[in-house]
Amino acid sequence: MSQTKVGVSEVPHRQNDARPALSSKQPAVAAAKPPAGPAATDRDRGKEVIEAIQAIRGGPRVLRLYMEMCARCGTCATQCPVYFGKPEAGYNPVLRSDLIRRLYRRYSTPAGKLLGSLNGDCRLDAGILSEWVESFYSCTGCRRCATFCPMGIDNSVITRKGRGIVDKLGLTPETMKKVVQISLQTGNTDGASPEAFRAAIQFLEEEMREEHGVDIRIPVDVQGADYFYIPPSGDVLVNPEATMGVAKVFHVLGMADRWTMSSKCFDGANYGLFTGNDADMKADNKAYVEEAKRLGSRVMLMGECGHAYRIMKMMMEPQKWWGDLPFKIVNCMEFTAHQIRSGKLQFDKSKNHRPVTYHDPCNFSRSCGITDEPRLILEASCQDFREMYPNRAMNWCCGGGGGLSAMDDIQQFRMEVSGRKKLAQVRETGAKYVATACSNCKRQLGQLMEHYKDEVGVGGVHDMLSRAILINGRAADRTSYE
Amino acid sequence: MTDTFAFFVGGVLPYAAALAFVAGMAYRFYSWWAAPQPGKLTLFPAADSTLRGVLAETLFFPGLFRGDRSLWAFSWLFHATLALVFLGHVRVFTGLLDAVLMRMGWSSAGIDRMSATVGGIAGILLFATGLVLLLRRFALRRVREISGFPDIFAPLLLLAVIFTGDLMRFGAHFDLEQTRRWAASLLVLQPVVPADGFFLLHALAAMLLIMYIPFSKILHFGGIFFTQALIKRS
Repeated sequence: MSQTKVGVSEVPHRQNDARPALSSKQPAVAAAKPPAGPAATDRDRGKEVIEAIQAIRGGPRVLRLYMEMCARCGTCATQCPVYFGKPEAGYNPVLRSDLIRRLYRRYSTPAGKLLGSLNGDCRLDAGILSEWVESFYSCTGCRRCATFCPMGIDNSVITRKGRGIVDKLGLTPETMKKVVQISLQTGNTDGASPEAFRAAIQFLEEEMREEHGVDIRIPVDVQGADYFYIPPSGDVLVNPEATMGVAKVFHVLGMADRWTMSSKCFDGANYGLFTGNDADMKADNKAYVEEAKRLGSRVMLMGECGHAYRIMKMMMEPQKWWGDLPFKIVNCMEFTAHQIRSGKLQFDKSKNHRPVTYHDPCNFSRSCGITDEPRLILEASCQDFREMYPNRAMNWCCGGGGGLSAMDDIQQFRMEVSGRKKLAQVRETGAKYVATACSNCKRQLGQLMEHYKDEVGVGGVHDMLSRAILINGRAADRTSYE
Repeated sequence: MTDTFAFFVGGVLPYAAALAFVAGMAYRFYSWWAAPQPGKLTLFPAADSTLRGVLAETLFFPGLFRGDRSLWAFSWLFHATLALVFLGHVRVFTGLLDAVLMRMGWSSAGIDRMSATVGGIAGILLFATGLVLLLRRFALRRVREISGFPDIFAPLLLLAVIFTGDLMRFGAHFDLEQTRRWAASLLVLQPVVPADGFFLLHALAAMLLIMYIPFSKILHFGGIFFTQALIKRS
């Protein structure tokens, strides 16, 4: 499917546009200019940072422990996709976390207060802070270090704290800032209007009619529908095959009138997780929970978006941000895998005859434990499914985690540093298509393949399903994609 | 070795060390326990029981096994031997263990022989693995670039404890009756200190180490339960 056909986005797209690479001399991240005005002096900013550091003493427990507990064995560095890509001090996870630890020791411990700056350099001028921005936005937050750390330290927690402090100072990189603002204003990270969304959905329904010769509906804003489907907006606007796949599943099950999408809330992506700003994260989240309540859904069906599902399932629900919920939170891959296990879906695997591999998005595999379901779907719908190694919870990050994938200003870093391990992993499989369940992974992987001129397609899990699923005994009547 | 030094090491430091260690660790544990933790941080695959997950990780270091095999080999051997030596030190302070073993039919000479063999091997192994771990810090770039003074000081202090302990083990015969009397005298606040030079050096290094633990990275000896519990929470 041509991606330009669905040109509904109102802001410059976060899709696979080839921007000129930065010269290697430029810093990886250009920090946003500090806000003008009297509040922006070095001293004020320093004070604000120190207050944020001192607040760590009050919790959360995890951060306090991580400030005090590192044995400095260097294991994280051997498991970090960024340090693998470029083994230099600036990318060593321990030294990145030390940016915060050093200040914690200096300003939050009795010894630090007593010994002053013996703990190391504790200056906090604009230069240092721009190093902070660069450093915290060169961690993909993939949590791979935590899987291997003998102390159980999850450096992504410290990275998020660092980004949160940077955000408070208004120094979040402009690209990230913009995504958050657009999302809070429009309800989706692409800035698409309800009309644009409806047009895209209509287009997808037409596509499916062409493919199968029958009407396969994508219900929108249906009050009382049991399932409320929330994909990342990318799966409607940029890589819409996954959404077609989900529509086909409901169609085959005879449940076309039991699900709905929302023309206001069609993007589970929530960049507050990535900028470390809890207020933004919750504000973005609230609209979706309220929409689910308004629609009266019984199930919030999350799409192929790792961090969106993680926020809903692992954070919002157990922490009761909005109290008890009148709906369950289920991922669409769990839903579909369950239907396949029950024998309710049939496939023509010859439609996907090229070798296909699966890239485990960190948020699904390490943070949510969803690893079997995508494999079940791919094995059911593809002739030649291949594992890449290591996989599941041990999988290497694509190099675009933690929101980095959306940042065009660090594309060179993502291609030549953070994505290097993933490229090698994909090449080893010999696959011609990488399926993955995350818009950010898809973007990063797509750019990687383009950058290194590998002829490997990139897309979603339900994309493969969409191409092979039998409707009235026949798979989609289409031979070329992309 | 003057009497003043002996009295300081054997009669004053033990109380100071015990106080610093207990108060320091209690403060750490309390501050961690008291800090609120709003959310779970479960890292999959999650253990079906948090306790089992944490115990497995603290006893066998499976994460490190998968992540850095050679570091795992040295550090597991080091920690396991350390635990063994720690258990062995029960004999240093009380004759209880000997009494139990004798009940089971061991002879006094047999216990000494077993102790000499196991303790001797453990002492050498501990020093060797500790040294390798310290040298690794200088040899590998990724570890060298994160190493500061405390990262060198802590293992050096530990090696000093081990080395002086080995000196006692392999030096002139040391009668454990002396330390058992010393331990009992400490309990009644009337310390009687053995006059052995190696013993005093070993005790000095050990006492400094014990005091240092709550304020150093060796803190992980208690903190690991807290951090692992956070991500192993099922």
